[in-house]
Amino acid sequence: MAIYHLSTPLKEEDVRSLKVGDVVYLSGHIFTARDMAHLRIQGLLKEGTPPPKNFAGAAVFHAGPVALKNSDGSWRLNVIGPTTSIRMEPYAAMVGGLGLRAVIGKGGMAEDTLRACGEYGYVYLQAAPGCAAKLAQGVESIEDVTWLDMGMPEAIWDLRAREFGPLVVGMDTHGDSIYANLRKAALEQIAARYPA
Amino acid sequence: MLQYEELIYTEVYQAVLRAVTEISADVKGLLDEALARESNETAKSMLSSMVDNLSIAKQADKAVCQSPGYPTAWVWFGKDGPHPCIKQAVADAVAEATQRGYLRPSIVDPLTRVNSGDNTGKGVPNIELEYVPNQEYVDFIISFKGCGAELGNAMQIMTTAKLGKDLVGLKRFILETAVGAGGKPCPPYGIGIGIGGQMDVAAKLSRKAISTRRWDDVNPDPQLAELEHELKDAVNALGLGAAGTGGDTVCLAVKMECAHTHTAIAPVCINFHCWVARRAGVRIYPDGRTERLL
Repeated sequence: MAIYHLSTPLKEEDVRSLKVGDVVYLSGHIFTARDMAHLRIQGLLKEGTPPPKNFAGAAVFHAGPVALKNSDGSWRLNVIGPTTSIRMEPYAAMVGGLGLRAVIGKGGMAEDTLRACGEYGYVYLQAAPGCAAKLAQGVESIEDVTWLDMGMPEAIWDLRAREFGPLVVGMDTHGDSIYANLRKAALEQIAARYPA
Repeated sequence: MLQYEELIYTEVYQAVLRAVTEISADVKGLLDEALARESNETAKSMLSSMVDNLSIAKQADKAVCQSPGYPTAWVWFGKDGPHPCIKQAVADAVAEATQRGYLRPSIVDPLTRVNSGDNTGKGVPNIELEYVPNQEYVDFIISFKGCGAELGNAMQIMTTAKLGKDLVGLKRFILETAVGAGGKPCPPYGIGIGIGGQMDVAAKLSRKAISTRRWDDVNPDPQLAELEHELKDAVNALGLGAAGTGGDTVCLAVKMECAHTHTAIAPVCINFHCWVARRAGVRIYPDGRTERLL
């Protein structure tokens, strides 16, 4: 287990050197995106329209902030924490194709994402769940918001982060997933303890 | 009467604010204990973040979690009935807390997915009214239960054969559900289990068990107390850990509630509750005295 301090845009070789269990602190731009943003990006790509942000080398955070509007129209962050990532599993290859290098969320993802991590070169980072006030300390400002018509949680928020974390590498580019490993061991244990 | 109505509005709003800026003391105690005995380094780091998060939120008067979850309130009333203003008082409190930045607007139409903007809407907040014969006071508990946790939930209409000898089938169903849920319900979680009735009865019991009981209580039914204890230990022994990234404690509590059912069926609902146990309540006496619940 090693500790890394990385900045966006993330380099493919840096991301490929990460292994499950490593801890990452992230600085630079983090984009939030959840169910509706993924769905809308998928629609745009099908039409051949580019997405509203450049995701090359980016970190995408499965999250929706509590943001407050300032009198000058800009936004300030109140709190932010991870949402359950598995809902975005259908977009595993799509996000890889956008060139992002890290997905931040909670609860882990499944086989399609693990395959895409290796193929496209991105990692899945687990944030501490339910720690929105603490995680907000790693965000310096809200740079921009896109697609606010979808509502505060579902919009794409462009966050400026500084030492955002700790984030644990839950799935790496080498085909290893903490979640899959734990699940396999746990199922074996149930079969032994309460046989069918 | 107007004075009593004002009291209800004030007490309900205070309960909502307390619920979203801290977690109930029983769960905080269990979280501290889990951190103290944790042997896995990653899980220790995750549990430390959780404990830190609570003090940061408290000091800065912020929401403990960015997701408001879904609000359900329970009202237990006696011969005088619930006050007619109670539904409006809860809806107003939730909308005001949203407007003040304590709750992110997150309630949407189930089909169009359009956000209502203030965390209220058709059927939201959900209110469960329960009549308790001869009770002099009114008890009120509001619970904001996170919805990532809902993605791990499961229900099954079990049968005598499926429950199995010594309830082995039931236990396996619960453990396999925990494995399937993995880190989705924001562990270390609580599990509410409702058994009996038909599907609707079991589902309501499962939510009520984990949202309104103290997580450190002992079930007055000895058979259920033993099952709760055995299942909590068995779920923790799976090694899934805080955040679902491995460790000693994935489950802080199992709470079970039963109702009689038909001889052909045994409906079982398994309901996860994230560690962020945002619930608070108040007991209101007819003379206006109040006592804090949870």
